Amino acid sequence: MTALLEVDGLSVTFPATAGDFRPVRDVSFSVDRGETLCIVGESGCGKSLTALALMGLLPKWARRDARRLELQGRDLVGLTERQLADIRGRRMSMVFQEPMTSLNPAYTVGEQLSETYRRHYLSRRGVARDRAIYLLETVGITAAASRLRQYPHQLSGGLRQRVMIAMALICEPNLIIADEPTTALDVTIQAQILHLLSALQKRFGMGMVLITHDLGIVARVATRVAVMYAGQIVETGTVDEVFANPLHPYTQALLRCIPVPGRVKRGEHLGSIPGAVPTLMGDLGGCHFRNRCAYAHAACAPDPILMNEVTPGRGYRCVVPAAICAARGHGAAA
Amino acid sequence: MPAYAAKRFAVALLVLFVVSVLTFTFTNVAVDPAIAIAGEGATDAQIERLRREYGFDRPLYVQYGEWLSGTLAGDFGTSIRQRRPVLTMLAEKFPVTATVGGLALILAFVVAVPLGMVAALRPNSWIDRFALGFAVVGMAMPTFWFGLVLIIVFGVTLHWLPVSGTGTAAHFVMPSIALSYYSIPIIMRLTRAGMIDVMASDYIRTARAKGLLPRTVLFKHALRNAVIPVVAVAAVQFGHLLAGSVVVESVFALHGIGYMAWEALHAADLPVIQAVVVVLAGFYILLVFLSDLLNAFLDPRIRIA
Ligand SMILES: Nc1ncnc2c1ncn2[C@@H]1O[C@H](COP(=O)(O)OP(=O)(O)OP(=O)(O)O)[C@@H](O)[C@H]1O
Ligand SMILES: [Mg+2]
Repeated sequence: MTALLEVDGLSVTFPATAGDFRPVRDVSFSVDRGETLCIVGESGCGKSLTALALMGLLPKWARRDARRLELQGRDLVGLTERQLADIRGRRMSMVFQEPMTSLNPAYTVGEQLSETYRRHYLSRRGVARDRAIYLLETVGITAAASRLRQYPHQLSGGLRQRVMIAMALICEPNLIIADEPTTALDVTIQAQILHLLSALQKRFGMGMVLITHDLGIVARVATRVAVMYAGQIVETGTVDEVFANPLHPYTQALLRCIPVPGRVKRGEHLGSIPGAVPTLMGDLGGCHFRNRCAYAHAACAPDPILMNEVTPGRGYRCVVPAAICAARGHGAAA
Repeated sequence: MPAYAAKRFAVALLVLFVVSVLTFTFTNVAVDPAIAIAGEGATDAQIERLRREYGFDRPLYVQYGEWLSGTLAGDFGTSIRQRRPVLTMLAEKFPVTATVGGLALILAFVVAVPLGMVAALRPNSWIDRFALGFAVVGMAMPTFWFGLVLIIVFGVTLHWLPVSGTGTAAHFVMPSIALSYYSIPIIMRLTRAGMIDVMASDYIRTARAKGLLPRTVLFKHALRNAVIPVVAVAAVQFGHLLAGSVVVESVFALHGIGYMAWEALHAADLPVIQAVVVVLAGFYILLVFLSDLLNAFLDPRIRIA
């Protein structure tokens, strides 16, 4: 049986005369039912574009290539806009990074919720309205019936994001993609929204792709992790594998940046990664991380580095054998 | 919404009041009404007698009060030249101007909004370039000249349409087209800019992410927001159309308000000038008020603070 979502060799290119801009390169992963895949990485590494590419929502001038892009065994690559529209919102839906601007200011919350339902299930207004109320209650909004008549500008950011989540779930999709759903919210609200997403994901048995750059979140909600760097996935595995035994030098550096209670001794400096992310123009030749990597050597360039599969679902993108990588990781963490 | 409407209405009344004061003051300063009534060749003594007879020697604010109470009762005074009630003259001429102006505005919207939308959806396509060219020509071409071109082509050469007068509906076709072309560029460019902005917005991305059909995304979610700034300028545009009406009315020999104002200005016919200015200003203020209401209806952020 195939996974819920299969992504193989996904790339996004913005063609330009001065040289193509390639912010997503050869990204592969899969997500199963009931599973949460967290995509982590620095700002600008291509997380949002990966998500938009899955949804078919890239800007018109962007080019998407993939060897395989399947949802429930159905190929997403050759679909017409109309066929894609039938899938979006019903089979897979997305929650965005910007709750303040993602709802239409001209329509009530109720209208925006129920129109989604009516679009996919030809139902009467009353049914869609009841469904909208049910979903608002599900995402923890009180006095749901009266909220239906409110406009987005009357709601706080946290409430708007709850509405966005309710909207994404109203047709019970199989896959939900959440792109940094809490970045724009207050810290106290962040935890609530994440708990909510994670609880709903379990309750509805959905697959979830959660994009974040917060490793603390990953540790709490992820089943599996994909670490992205400069347009590529540099390491994948289960949370336990990646956190306990990081293989790629970037993952190791990233993990060193977060304080772990008990592991960080008092007075010890938190790690930070020196150097800058390369510009994602044209062919970068070799490892993207080599200019910042403590272990870089001649073999890191000029050939593209391929993903090494340690076991199925566990891989890393580095020329150094896994055993040596693992030893370095432990050395660094100890 | 009622509170908002009441507030806008109060503002409208205030503006109208200020306009009437300014109009009355400036016209009385610019033209000595006694001299205007006496006509050329009158002696100083005759003028002085008229001044007392008509009460022009009283303080201006007293005269204004008198004029205002008359105006509020629907009495705009009597034309100096034509010796007829100004109200009767207005009632004759206003429908002509309102028809031409209204038709022109409708035509401008019907042409400009779809053109702006298509241009926005296909930026830099041939249709976008065509729309831009159309707008540039419209802005560069004087209304009177365009009117004359229309007359030469469709009236004189092709004999499709009558070239002057107001006898039939056909008489209004060319004046309306000539006048509408003045407003098309601005409405079209605003629609295009609004539409491009809205199509790039996060909520349109959301609408697509929900699986809504392209036509729903376009007409329900995008257009509604894109026309908000357009509606705001529509009233202002109509004001310009009324002003442009003076030109068009003289080109097509339509006897409307513009023509009447032109005549009155030449004759220093004070009551007529005052009435025209105040009525047009009042009409303009009314339209601004209506467009405010329409905007509030379209944009709940205005309606529900
Ligand atoms: N529409 C676009 N046109 C051109 N470049 C874009 C576009 N959207 C994003 N980019 C660029 O692509 C790169 C990856 O962007 P992306 O939004 O995927 O980053 P991200 O990983 O989501 O970052 P963040 O954590 O800040 O959200 C960035 O350099 C960004 O500037
Ligand atoms: Mg992003």
